[in-house]
Amino acid sequence: MEKLAIKNIKLHYFTSKGVIRALDGVSFDLRAGETLGVVGESGCGKTTLGTALLNMPTPPGRIVAGEILFDGLDILKLNEDELRKQIRWEKIAMVFQGAMNCLTPVYTIRKQMMETILTHRKMTKQEAEERIIKYLNLVGLSADVLRRYPHELSGGMKQRIVIATALFLEPQVVICDEPTTALDVVVQAQIINLLKQLKEQLKLSFIFITHDLATEAEVADRIMVMYAGKVVEIGTNEQIYGPQRAAHPYTQLLMAATPRLRQKVDQLAFIPGTPPDLLAPPAGCRFHLRCPQVMERCRQEEPPLVEVEPAHTVACWRCGHE
Amino acid sequence: MYWKYVIRRIVSVFFTYVIIIFIYSALFNTVMEKTIRAQIGEQVKQEMMVQSHIMSAAELKRYQEERLAFHYKRYHLDEPFLSRVFWRAISTLKFDFGNSTIIRSAAGERKVLTIVGEKIPRTILLFTLATAIDIIIGVLLGMKKAQKPGKFLDQSTSIMTMVVYGMPTWWVAMILIMLFVYKIAIFPSGGLHSVPPPQGFAYVLDLLYHLALPLLTLVLIGFWGRAYLTRNIVLSTLQEDYIMAARARGLSERQVLYGHTLRSAAPPIATMSILSLLFSVGGGLIFEGIFSWPGMGNLYWVAIQQNDIPVLMGNLAVTTLFYLSGLVLLDLIYGVLDPRIKVGGKA
Amino acid sequence: MKLKDLRETLRDFWGEFRKVRYGMVGLVMFGLFLLIVILEPVLIPFPETGRRWRDITYWEDNPKNAAPVWVNWFTRKDYTPQAVLDKPEISERKAANTQMVEAVFTYNYKYDLPPIDLLLRATGKGLLNLAVHLERPDGLSIELTKKSIRLSGEAPVRLSLDKEASGAVGDFLKTYEDPDVLRGVSIFTVKPVEVFFARAEPGILRNPVPLKGEYRIKLTCVAVGSGAFLKEPALTVAGRVFGLMGTDASKRDIWSGVIAGTKWALLIGLLTSAVAVIIGVFYGVTSAYFGGAVDLVMMRIYEVFQSIPLLPVMIVVSAVFKPSIWTMILMMCAFFWVGSVRTVRSMGLQIKEEIYVEAAHALGASRGRIIFKHMLPQVIPYAFASMALQVPVSIVYEASVSLLGLGDATIVTWGQILHDAMQGGAVLQGIWWWIIPPGLFIALMGMTFAFVGFAMDTILNPKLRTR
Repeated sequence: MEKLAIKNIKLHYFTSKGVIRALDGVSFDLRAGETLGVVGESGCGKTTLGTALLNMPTPPGRIVAGEILFDGLDILKLNEDELRKQIRWEKIAMVFQGAMNCLTPVYTIRKQMMETILTHRKMTKQEAEERIIKYLNLVGLSADVLRRYPHELSGGMKQRIVIATALFLEPQVVICDEPTTALDVVVQAQIINLLKQLKEQLKLSFIFITHDLATEAEVADRIMVMYAGKVVEIGTNEQIYGPQRAAHPYTQLLMAATPRLRQKVDQLAFIPGTPPDLLAPPAGCRFHLRCPQVMERCRQEEPPLVEVEPAHTVACWRCGHE
Repeated sequence: MYWKYVIRRIVSVFFTYVIIIFIYSALFNTVMEKTIRAQIGEQVKQEMMVQSHIMSAAELKRYQEERLAFHYKRYHLDEPFLSRVFWRAISTLKFDFGNSTIIRSAAGERKVLTIVGEKIPRTILLFTLATAIDIIIGVLLGMKKAQKPGKFLDQSTSIMTMVVYGMPTWWVAMILIMLFVYKIAIFPSGGLHSVPPPQGFAYVLDLLYHLALPLLTLVLIGFWGRAYLTRNIVLSTLQEDYIMAARARGLSERQVLYGHTLRSAAPPIATMSILSLLFSVGGGLIFEGIFSWPGMGNLYWVAIQQNDIPVLMGNLAVTTLFYLSGLVLLDLIYGVLDPRIKVGGKA
Repeated sequence: MKLKDLRETLRDFWGEFRKVRYGMVGLVMFGLFLLIVILEPVLIPFPETGRRWRDITYWEDNPKNAAPVWVNWFTRKDYTPQAVLDKPEISERKAANTQMVEAVFTYNYKYDLPPIDLLLRATGKGLLNLAVHLERPDGLSIELTKKSIRLSGEAPVRLSLDKEASGAVGDFLKTYEDPDVLRGVSIFTVKPVEVFFARAEPGILRNPVPLKGEYRIKLTCVAVGSGAFLKEPALTVAGRVFGLMGTDASKRDIWSGVIAGTKWALLIGLLTSAVAVIIGVFYGVTSAYFGGAVDLVMMRIYEVFQSIPLLPVMIVVSAVFKPSIWTMILMMCAFFWVGSVRTVRSMGLQIKEEIYVEAAHALGASRGRIIFKHMLPQVIPYAFASMALQVPVSIVYEASVSLLGLGDATIVTWGQILHDAMQGGAVLQGIWWWIIPPGLFIALMGMTFAFVGFAMDTILNPKLRTR
C-alpha cells in the first residue's frame, strides 16, 4: 500500500474578495522510499499542498473536501490534538521554504530543537541533546550551532538545521518545500546531495516541491506537474524528462522554457499569458487559454487524469483519448 | 563592549537631564517672577494696612522697604536672574532641593526632598498600580484578540478602544463620583484615608476603601489601548513564517502562543509597558485633584498656586528622572529581549 | 511624479478606507460636527453665546440649575418649561402726552410644578404707571402689582412678578389658606408665583394642587409725559426646566454653550495636530536623510522635548500669563511634534537604505529632491493617520488646562464649562446635565477622530487586516 494516498483534496481560501480555489481536486500517491517531485509555476498550489498535507492551511484557508490517507488512516479526520501528537513531525515532517524566517529569532537553536524533541518524546535532556547532535553531524554541522541565534547563521547552515530538525524524530514522510531556492548554487548542490544521501540512509519518502525543473530532475523518482490548483501530469523522471517528450502541453512548454546548458538559444522560450485567476477559473481545462494545442472540447470539459502508459497519467484531451 | 555602551548611554541621558533641569529652572524663574512680585506687593500692602494705624508715614515707608526686602530675600528675588537660574539648576542636579518657600510636609518639615518623598509613594500606589494592572489585562486581552482576529471579541474591544480614546479620565471620574459617591453612597469622596485615620489593619482597609474608586476609574479606561497595541504586535508576529513552522513541528498552541509568539513580540510590548510604568510616577494632576489624592500631581498644583518654586523644581526633577531612567533601562534590556539587536547598534 | 502618483495613492487609499466600517462612521460623525459649526447660529437659541458667556444680564431670565425639558418624559410630575410670550393682544389709546396700553398674555398652564417666576419686559419712556392682573382659570382675578417707574430716556423695563407680588399673595393666602397654617409662616418665605398657580383651597402652602388651564396676564400701562410710551411688551415664563441641556448655576443655557464650543474644539484639534505632525514629519525625514552628526544632534533635541511633560509646563505658563487660545495651540505644537518623529525617522532610514534612493543619487538628483520625491510620499499616509489620532489628544489637553481655570476667558470651550461645573458643585449636587454634555462632546469628538485614525492605521498596516 502506498505510504500516502491523497484523494481529491480541495483547499479553498475564503477571502473577502471571494473564494480562491487553490487546490481543486488533487489526487496522487506517494510510495514508501520514493521521492515525488511537485513542479509548477508560482501560484499553482504547490506550497498550499505542503501545508494541506499537515492539515495546517494558512488562514483563511480550509480543506473543504478530500482525504489524506497515511498508511490507510485519513488524517483529516483527526482532531487538532491527535494531529499534533501523532502526525505532525512524527510521521510527516516539513522542510520549509525560505529557511530565512522559519526559525524563531528570539530563541537559540538549542532551545528550539530541544523543545521540539521533548514535546514529542519522553527522554532526558541528555538523551535529547545526544540525538540532536547526532543529526546535526549527519547534516554536516557541529554542536557549536546550538548556542547560536538564527540570525547569526548563514542560509546554508539554517537550511541544514531545518533539515536536521525535520529528521530527528525519524518521520516517514518529509515534505520539502523549495529547500534550495534561496541558496547559492554551490550550497544548493550540497544540500541536494545531502538529501539524497539521507533518503538512502534513513529510508525516507520525500515530497519535493520546487519550481526549479533542473533540481527536480536530480532528485525526483516520479514527478507531478500542477497547474492552477489541479494535477495535469504524473510520470516517472524518465517519462517526463526523457527523450520522448512529456505528454501534457504545459509540461512540454515548461521543459522548453528551461534553458539547457549545451543548447544554444536565440530567444528564451516562454509560455504566453499568465496563470488564471483562481477566484474565477476558466471553464473546461484550466490551461486551455494558453495551450498551443487547444481543441474545442478543452474549452468545455475538464479532462480527467488517465493513464497513457504504465505509471504515467495525464489530464489532457489530446492524450489517451483517441 | 556592552558596558561601554551602557556608560555612553547614561552619560548622554545625563546631558539631556541637565539641559532639561536648566530649562525648568529658567522657566520657573521667569514665569513665576511676575506673580511672585505681584503677590509680595499685595502681601506687604496688607501688612502695611495693619501697621498704618500705629506708624507714621515715614516709618511706614521704611517698614515697606523692610518687608519688601525680607520677602524678596525669602524668594531669592534679590539675586540677579541668571545667577538664580544657574544656582537653582545646579542644586537641583545635586538633589539638594532645599527648603520649600511655604509648603510643609505632613510632619511640618520644609525640606523639599521630604515633601516630595512623601508624595511619591501615594502616586505610585495609585497610578503605577493602575498602570501595572492595565498592562496585565491589556496584554492578556490583546493576545486573546490576536488569536481570533476579526471576530466578535476583537472587533468589539477595538471599538471600545476607539470610544475611550478621546475620553478624559477626569471626566469619567467626575461622573463616577457623582454616581457612586453622592447619588449612591458607596465610595468615599476622596482623600487618602478617613479623618481621623484608623489604626493598624483597619488603616489598610480604609486605605483600600479610598483607593478603590480612583483605581477603578484608571483601570477601566486604561487597558483598552494596551490591548489594541498588543493585539497588533502579536497579530503581526503570528503571521511570521516561524510561527507556522513551530506549529508544523507539532508544538502545542500554548507553546506557540505564549512561548514563541509572546517572546518574539516582547520587545515592543516591553517598551510600551516600561515607559508607561515609569511615566506614571508623575501622576495625574487633575485626576489627583478630583479625588483629593495627595500625590505628586496634586503637589504640583498646590505648588503652582503658592508660587513655591523649590517644590516645583523638586517635583519635576524627580518625575523627569524616573522617565529618563526608563529610557536608558529600555535601551539596555532591549538587547537582552531581542537577540537580533546588537546593543549599541543603530536604533 | 507628484500630482498623478499622489492622486493614485489617495484614490487607492480611499477605496480601502471605504471598506472599514468604523472609519466611515467616523467620517460621518466628523461631517455632523462640521454641520454643527456651520449651523451654529441657527441651532442655538442664544446667538450671542460666544461673546456674552460671562455677561450675567444676557442670561438673567433663565432659571438657575434647571434640568433639560425632556426630563419631563421620565418623571411622573411635569415641570413647567421655559416659555416666552411675545405676542399679546394689545390695545392702545393715545391722547396728548399720554399713552394707555393694555396687553393681555394668554398662557396655557398644564404642568404639575409651577414656573419659578413671571418676567415682564418692555421698552418705555416717561412716567409709566403699571398694573398687572392675573386672571385664573377658576375665575379669580388678582391684582399682582401696581407700580410707577420713571424713565428719562428710552430704556428697558423689567418686572419680576415673583418679587412684586408679595403684597398680593399675602391677601390671597389670607382669603384661601387655613389661618392656623398662616400663623407660623413668614411672608418672606412664600413664593407668590407658586401660590398663584395652585388651587385656591386650604393646604395651598404645604401641598399645592396645580390649577391647570388658561391664564391671562393683563398688563396695563399709562405712560405720562411728552413722548412717553410703552412698547414691545413680552412675558417670560421662567420655567423649572429649560432647553435641550438645561442651565447652569449662572443661568446659562448649556446647549448653547456646548454648541458654541464645538468650533473651538475642532479648531484646536485640527490646527494643532496638522502643524505638529507636519513639523514632526519634516523633522524626522530631515534627520533620517542627513544622518551622522546632524541626526545625532537632532535626536538629542528630540529627547529633551520628549522628556518634558507638557501639561505641567502649560499649567505654569497659563497660570501666569492668562493666555489666549492661540498661545495654547502654539505651546501644544511646540511639544506635540515629537510624537511622529520616531516612526517617521525609522521609515526614512529604511527608505534611505533602499537602492533606488542611491540610484537617484547616482543619477545626480539633488538632495532636496531625493527627500521630497522618495521619502515624503511614503510617509504621507502615516502622517494623516497620525494627525487624526493626535486631534483628541490636543482637545483633551486644552480641556484639561481650561478645567483648571486657566483657559482662554474670552471664548467658551467645553473644558471651561466643566470648570464652572466643578466650581458650581455640580458633582456634589448631582447636576448631571452640566457635567455629562460637555464631556460627552469631548468624548464624541475623540471617538470621531479615533475611528478615522484607527481605520487609516489599519489600512497602512496590511498585515493587521483580517479578512
